[in-house]
Amino acid sequence: MIRLIVRRLIQMPIILGAVYTITFSLAWLIPGNPLENPARRPPPEIMQAMLQQYRLDDPWTFYWDYLGKATGVSWLLGRHPRPFDLGPSLTHQDWTVNEILAAGLPVSITLGLGAILLACGIGLVAGVIGGIKPGSWADLATLGVALVGISLPSFVIGTALLVVFGLLLGVVPIGGWGRLSHTILPALTLALPFAAYIARLTRFGMIDELRADYVRTARAKGVPRRHIVLKHALKNAFLPVLSYLGPATAMAVTGSFVVEKIFAVPGIGTHFVNAVLSKDLTLIMGVVLVYSTLLILFNLLVDVLYRWVDPRIELG
Amino acid sequence: MKLLVPFGLLLSALAAVVYLDDTPPRADLVFVNSGEVFTLDPQRMSWIQDFRMAYALYEGLVRWNNADFSIEPAAAEWQTSADRLIYTFSIRPDARWSDGAPLTAHDYLYAWKRAILPDTAADYSNMFFVIAGARAFFRWRTEALEAFAAQSADLDPEDRAPAALALWKETQRQFDTIVGLKALDDSTLEVRLDRSRAYFLDLVAFGVFCPVYRPAVEGWRVDQATTEAIRLSGWAHVPPPAFADRRFVTLNSATGRLEQSHGWTKPRHLVTNGPYVLSHWRYKRGLHLRRNEHYHSPQRIRSDRIACISIEDINTAVMAFASGSVDWLTDVSVDYQADMLAERSAYENRYADRIRAALAAGSTLDEALAALPPPQKGERRNIHLFPAFGTDFYSFNCRPTLANGRPNPFADARVRRAFVASVNKKMLVETVTRLNEPVVTTLIPPGSIPGYRSPEGLPFDPESARAELESTGWVDRDGDGLVENDQGELFPIVDLLYSTNTPRYKNISLALRDMWQRQLGVRVELRGKESKFFKEDLKSGHFMIGRGRWYGDYGDPTTFLDLFKTGDGNNDRGYSNPYVDELLERAASEPDPQRRLRILQDCERFLFQEDVPMLVLCQLVQVYMYEPGRLSGLSRHPRLTQYLWQIEVRDR
Repeated sequence: MIRLIVRRLIQMPIILGAVYTITFSLAWLIPGNPLENPARRPPPEIMQAMLQQYRLDDPWTFYWDYLGKATGVSWLLGRHPRPFDLGPSLTHQDWTVNEILAAGLPVSITLGLGAILLACGIGLVAGVIGGIKPGSWADLATLGVALVGISLPSFVIGTALLVVFGLLLGVVPIGGWGRLSHTILPALTLALPFAAYIARLTRFGMIDELRADYVRTARAKGVPRRHIVLKHALKNAFLPVLSYLGPATAMAVTGSFVVEKIFAVPGIGTHFVNAVLSKDLTLIMGVVLVYSTLLILFNLLVDVLYRWVDPRIELG
Repeated sequence: MKLLVPFGLLLSALAAVVYLDDTPPRADLVFVNSGEVFTLDPQRMSWIQDFRMAYALYEGLVRWNNADFSIEPAAAEWQTSADRLIYTFSIRPDARWSDGAPLTAHDYLYAWKRAILPDTAADYSNMFFVIAGARAFFRWRTEALEAFAAQSADLDPEDRAPAALALWKETQRQFDTIVGLKALDDSTLEVRLDRSRAYFLDLVAFGVFCPVYRPAVEGWRVDQATTEAIRLSGWAHVPPPAFADRRFVTLNSATGRLEQSHGWTKPRHLVTNGPYVLSHWRYKRGLHLRRNEHYHSPQRIRSDRIACISIEDINTAVMAFASGSVDWLTDVSVDYQADMLAERSAYENRYADRIRAALAAGSTLDEALAALPPPQKGERRNIHLFPAFGTDFYSFNCRPTLANGRPNPFADARVRRAFVASVNKKMLVETVTRLNEPVVTTLIPPGSIPGYRSPEGLPFDPESARAELESTGWVDRDGDGLVENDQGELFPIVDLLYSTNTPRYKNISLALRDMWQRQLGVRVELRGKESKFFKEDLKSGHFMIGRGRWYGDYGDPTTFLDLFKTGDGNNDRGYSNPYVDELLERAASEPDPQRRLRILQDCERFLFQEDVPMLVLCQLVQVYMYEPGRLSGLSRHPRLTQYLWQIEVRDR
């Protein structure tokens, strides 16, 4: 276990370095200029001065300068006052990328974890109901709902929820953030596709497990049905769900562009799209580095949980 | 069950995230800005949503009267020398910063110096180049920085910081000697211009000329006694602390550049001199303003507290407005905008007589609407279309050859005139954009600049369009409906470039293609590109006809006509005519304002009757949502500068 963690942590900087380099090259190749207002071009001498001030006149300098500041190497060498400085945003001029992430990440994480919990609740219940009696009307109904949940895009679900509960019924506020009532609809919208996937995983897991020999033995011994389902079968059927939860959680907590946009959630999800559209290099690099770090950590966490839940599993 | 442990932990962690955010109570005026506020540093602003905040937080020397855009005193009165080269501003003695310190001429000098300094990376630096020596100073500093960066690598690391400081001191000296800006005393600012500029005061009313408070901007760390001294007589009378004691600025010893962090624009640090102070600003959540207790004319302020909330998705913003949590939407560009405007027309048509009578009796349109019975199904009165200070157009590539080296048919003004006269603009705004924007034949929105009368451009006239094209030798010789030259070659396929970020330009381009094919017998090929690629193509001249739009920056025809100057950075058309250059130059050196405007009028007439480097379509519009009678104080002047302190919400 310790070896696994240590090995993953050693791999991490290498993966992040590769991610940084690839993202930087792609982002630099986006045409256009992040400092340019779309409506007008200032005279060339002024644009040149602006590019120089932000070190955007030379990719190589920018690459190393940013890498040094972001990783804290410049700080260790005493060349920069702060470690892990992701630089000023090029479009949101009054905010540093660190401030933007500090403001948005807690929001996205709260919303994402809430959504994952909700998804587990809905998904497990639906999956178990379906898995116990495959082919029954309850199974078909949950399968149908799951199919809709996976295939309907969240901007449709989100807008529909907003129109019904926000505008027509007036039970939740539209836009804004800070109260529990603000989080319900976005969390639900974010949760539905995950819930649908979890329901399907659980259902198939349950069907397999309920056919297994140990279940037949348990039933022959007269173990109550409820006990068999919840205590024995579900435990094993949950393993594929658990491995899915790693990337799913990483995805949910880094925010969703669509959900954040529709519900005006101040998370970091919109930056993945908007920063690229405006070629905000520092912000692109910042969100990508944070996302990759979270992805790696959540995968590691799931692997550890995996081992802990089922000690038979050997992880390479 | 083991598995419940992590879930339980997660749940309790979530529960631990207590929603005790200090969400302020609903403000007196709640509005959704036209996008996230990028900066509250007036010198670095370039977006309309930022400037809207600038006029609430800061006060310039003068301001526009936003009903007619004449100039009135704000923080200062002014005098002009006889040759209109020297302006002397006397600052109101009762003007103060929000921390109680007096507002002085040094504040403006400091702010304007920041804007001219290349280290600030200000978009609008060139607006300050009307001040004598400003451009020369900008160039001097740019070159000095390049020279410093080249040398500093050879210096001993310990010598770099003193060298950067020496360069910085030399920069201050250079500024004082080269640039025509002087604080004669605490309350008098003298500005010397490079040449007489009829619109100089209009520039001074613009947001980038607002003052900033140096101790806040630089984050001075000073002792109690110094703070007291600053509050009593202003920062100019105390020695500034060393760079080590300034939180928000550093001198980079490797590049010699002044590096500014923008922590000072946050509520705890920001000091302002306008009607409001910033009480709250959270990223992507919103920005709250509170009345400035030190403002010299409190009776001007209509709302005590203003909230500008962030809703990125306009669809959601419209729903928030409909649910009553927002009083004013400044942007309504949703798919169903035209439908909502049609509902507004239906309402207006039903009560046309009563509205006309009320207007004749002297009430405003909003008052007239508010007095009518509430709208029924299929009608509405809370959406409003305001013509703006900008124009939608298509640029002709005027270069003699195209980017691919082929001869350019649009280098010939007669061809351009034919393409302009064959476009039915009225049909475009009625059936394609469906917004009924005011159709124009010239670039400067008519009636938007005091004292300037717009000339007439080319009218819609397909007959003369065909004749014009024929006169260049392009005639349909074989009766196939397409024009050929005398060698029988077809007119080159017209390369029509547009951006795909909104469906608007695709729709207009499709309609234009049909009109030109039908009226002129030419083939047109549409080329839609994502906006970044579109801009690259436009800049490099890789198009024959390309979509464009322009908003004026200041109240003078040159803010539009400079686009046609040979070599201008925004001259996407590659247009060059010595006659136009000469007219613009003559206007620039004409001391008499009336005569100057007439020269500019001649210039615009020539441009849009004879040379037509662009096909102008319509005035751009801004669509707002608010309940008439409930929200008041908005300006209807095309420049659409809305001062937040004038806006009031009634019947809450």
